[in-house]
Amino acid sequence: MHLGATLRLLRVDAGLSLRDLARRIGVSSAYLSRVENGVDAPPTQERLTAIARELDVPPGLLMDVANRVSPYVAGYLEDVPAAGTLMLDIARRKLNGSQLARVRAFLDAEFPLREVRGDEPVPPLAPLLSAERVVVQLSCGDYEDALDVAAGRLAAALPGMDAAVLAQGLRQREGETPSQVGNGVAVPHAFVAGAAPVAALVTLARPLKVDAPDGQPLRLVVALVDGHVGRARLMRLAHVARLAGRGLADRLQGAEEPQRVLETLEELEALR
Amino acid sequence: MNPHMLAQLLVQLIVIIAVSRLIGRGARWLGQPLVIAEVVAGIALGPSLLGWLAPGAMHWLFPPESMPFLKMLAEVGLVLFMFLIGLELDPKLLKGRGHASVAISHSSIIVPFALGAVAGALWLYKSLSSPDVPFSSFVLFMGVSMSITAFPVLARILTERGLMQSKLGAIAIACAAVDDVTAWCILAFVVSLVRASDLAHAGLTTLFALLYIGFMLLLVKPFLARLGARVANREGLTQNVVAITMVLLLASAWTTEYIGIHSLFGAFMFGAVIPKEGGLAAALAEKLEDVAVVLLLPVFFAFSGLRTQVGLLDTPEAWLTCGVIIVLACLGKFGGSAVAARLTGLRWREAGAIGVLMNTRGLMELIVLNLGLDLGVISPTLFTMMVIMALVTTFMTTPLLRVLYSPEELAREQLARTPEGPPPPSAYTVLLCVSHGQAGPGMAVLSRALAGERNEANLYALHLLSPDRALKARADEALDPSAASGGALTPLVGRAEKLGLSVRTLSFVSSEPARDICRTAQAKRADLVLLGWHKPLFSQTVLGGTVHEVMQEAGGTVAVLVDRGLTQVRRVLVPFVGSRHDRAALGLARRLVKQAGAEVTVLHVTSPEGAGAGRAQVEELFPAEEGAAVKLKVVRHMSPEEAALEEAKAGYDLVVVGLGAEWGLEDRLFGVQRERIVRDAPASLLLVRHPEGATVLAQTPEQARTQGASSETTQPAGARS
Repeated sequence: MHLGATLRLLRVDAGLSLRDLARRIGVSSAYLSRVENGVDAPPTQERLTAIARELDVPPGLLMDVANRVSPYVAGYLEDVPAAGTLMLDIARRKLNGSQLARVRAFLDAEFPLREVRGDEPVPPLAPLLSAERVVVQLSCGDYEDALDVAAGRLAAALPGMDAAVLAQGLRQREGETPSQVGNGVAVPHAFVAGAAPVAALVTLARPLKVDAPDGQPLRLVVALVDGHVGRARLMRLAHVARLAGRGLADRLQGAEEPQRVLETLEELEALR
Repeated sequence: MNPHMLAQLLVQLIVIIAVSRLIGRGARWLGQPLVIAEVVAGIALGPSLLGWLAPGAMHWLFPPESMPFLKMLAEVGLVLFMFLIGLELDPKLLKGRGHASVAISHSSIIVPFALGAVAGALWLYKSLSSPDVPFSSFVLFMGVSMSITAFPVLARILTERGLMQSKLGAIAIACAAVDDVTAWCILAFVVSLVRASDLAHAGLTTLFALLYIGFMLLLVKPFLARLGARVANREGLTQNVVAITMVLLLASAWTTEYIGIHSLFGAFMFGAVIPKEGGLAAALAEKLEDVAVVLLLPVFFAFSGLRTQVGLLDTPEAWLTCGVIIVLACLGKFGGSAVAARLTGLRWREAGAIGVLMNTRGLMELIVLNLGLDLGVISPTLFTMMVIMALVTTFMTTPLLRVLYSPEELAREQLARTPEGPPPPSAYTVLLCVSHGQAGPGMAVLSRALAGERNEANLYALHLLSPDRALKARADEALDPSAASGGALTPLVGRAEKLGLSVRTLSFVSSEPARDICRTAQAKRADLVLLGWHKPLFSQTVLGGTVHEVMQEAGGTVAVLVDRGLTQVRRVLVPFVGSRHDRAALGLARRLVKQAGAEVTVLHVTSPEGAGAGRAQVEELFPAEEGAAVKLKVVRHMSPEEAALEEAKAGYDLVVVGLGAEWGLEDRLFGVQRERIVRDAPASLLLVRHPEGATVLAQTPEQARTQGASSETTQPAGARS
């Protein structure tokens, strides 16, 4: 996962210019540009929180995307060493995603966070998908072909939508800002008036050599269509970027059937 | 300037900046741009409020002898600010504007200009000006001051409301940019006219101004472009570069001042010619903006405010005049641009929003007014009225925009933005669907003929893997990584390479091949879906199974190639009775003539009883200049199928035939017909089906009429039964 590319994707989607965002979080636009291009070090936790506030996404999500969680946790463990024992217990039990989700639910019920709006759960990706909208083992010579295939499947789920218009929409958005978030994942997306959010997922049999921000060939395309602009949409994009960071492309690489893809995805995002 | 004066100036600066920031907080709370607060702060510090409440305090703070210094500081601030305005003006905004922006920007200058000039000529000149002001200057100046749009305030409002990327924002900002440039040019002309004592001097000033503009565009601009490239590539914005640009800026401002058009024009012009690519403009703007906007610009506002004397409007008539000026200004600017926007096809709501945006006058109006006051073109009373007008028109922008163009509206527009309707027609696109490697070479040959010598077609080869075969295919791939998707596409790609064709391959796992073919064709906007066919293990008709499903679902022309060793496409036969499928077949043949120079024979079969309209139709489809390549044979025969079959034996490379009962070809899920023409014709066949309602290649109105009549017979009614 490439933090800079993800930040740029979110920023452009939120309709902010580089200068706007830089001004709002009090850094120079040159610095922000370097961060987006991955030339500068990732922003500190405070800056990420400021960016999350401006983009109106949960700070925890962005920190997760940036892999800033471990230093944060490390800091906490230093302050409260006893918590380390608890972590050890979790590790020894080798809890999986759904089990951790139950622990999380207990925590939420017992010790609710003070900032209610700050860290609400992120809408999961799996419910937006269905077996019809999962294409496995696509091999093609060009990224546009993958977009067209995804658009074809998405159009089938959107009554009255022309696949070509949708493909055009995806491409146009792609032209505004590249939708690759690194780790071999791209998140093309488009607006469709009044549509409920849907997604299509395409795994590539042959990794595509494209201008990825981190140089990794493209292996997975998650195309999102949304009827609304705003928070939920940004959160979805950030969430896919986070999944990419957790090795979504690697996990789905070998999948032969759409059903298997959905199962893997559900397991991966059981704890969001 | 003695030390006491410096202390005085410093105190003035502190008070000005503090008060404008303080009022700025209030403006923010009201959702107003900061400019409003700064103007109001200036007026409050001037004789209108402070001077009225506490004349002593105002006199202590702004003694008349300190005014020249304040004025100088304000002028320097303005030079820097105009430079920033020029920097923000991207020439891309001016170029390549749509029809809409051109019309709107022109009418948004002409209408208010005319209104202002007429009002000035007929009424204001008599009542509010003195006879020693030249009539023409006054009238022109009134015109200009009415037609100003505040580019920077507009840009800021659009950015703050997230409208910059929207269609509306793009049009508004482009119009404002044009308005700005035009207004400054007219203003420069007016200034030169006022300053010059006679017409000869005015002409000389205009000449020098044109020379100056030419010099800036032809010599300074290329130099700056090279400087910009250096900044972008290597060193970044060093202080030396900043120094060079500053010196050039000041020189440019000085030149225009010396020529006799104001220094502001030079600063603006210099900013405008700085290249906007490569970050020089952005970096300069970032460095200068804070000093210019936070420190120096408020001084200018305060200075304007000090000259604004609301006390001068002491009669009801004066206030009435002021009101009429405001109404005229709004009418001209808002009305002019909104009506023009509506006429270019925007909805009323959007057109209204454009009008409101263009009506923003902001600080640009203040700059113009101060210029007019300095030149003595307008009186302090008129100055005050116009300042109030500028304030009111700017103030109403944000609330009106919120009413006219609410966030919901914006969201709706953003949604509508994506599906922009069909993109411009692209090259002829063919989707080649290969289910088996065997069909590949023939399809490559046909594609070659359809694409022509110059490869005028987009070719996509699609191979769909069935889910159970996917595993096997992957195993093959593991052995031979170069083979794309199990090798079904290899023969096609191989032949295409030999023929010099570029084909983009595509393959994925699909459990519903027919639907995926149609979806992909739709997404690719394929003009033709070409299906390969190979003799299956069990005896089966061509038009059954997947082919049938594709033909039922596709939104465009579908053709099946029955390959009998197709190596070239020289002689082509098109049996024709006039159904829409036949016409699609003829359209394909026409393309073969055009792209590959094929010889086409059209076989028109009429029943022995009556003559059909076939000849006329064929002649319409193949105009005289192509006539040489097309032969028309008319045959009377009881069975069209027999007639076509007989003709097909006469040494053709390819028979292009539309579906239809008359040829014994109907697509049914389970074919029971014998499809004799497929079985017995020695040549390769291309079976063409065209869906109802889609446009046919080279369709004429006459055909459209006959299509309605013929579709009944060819529609495979009850195909699924």
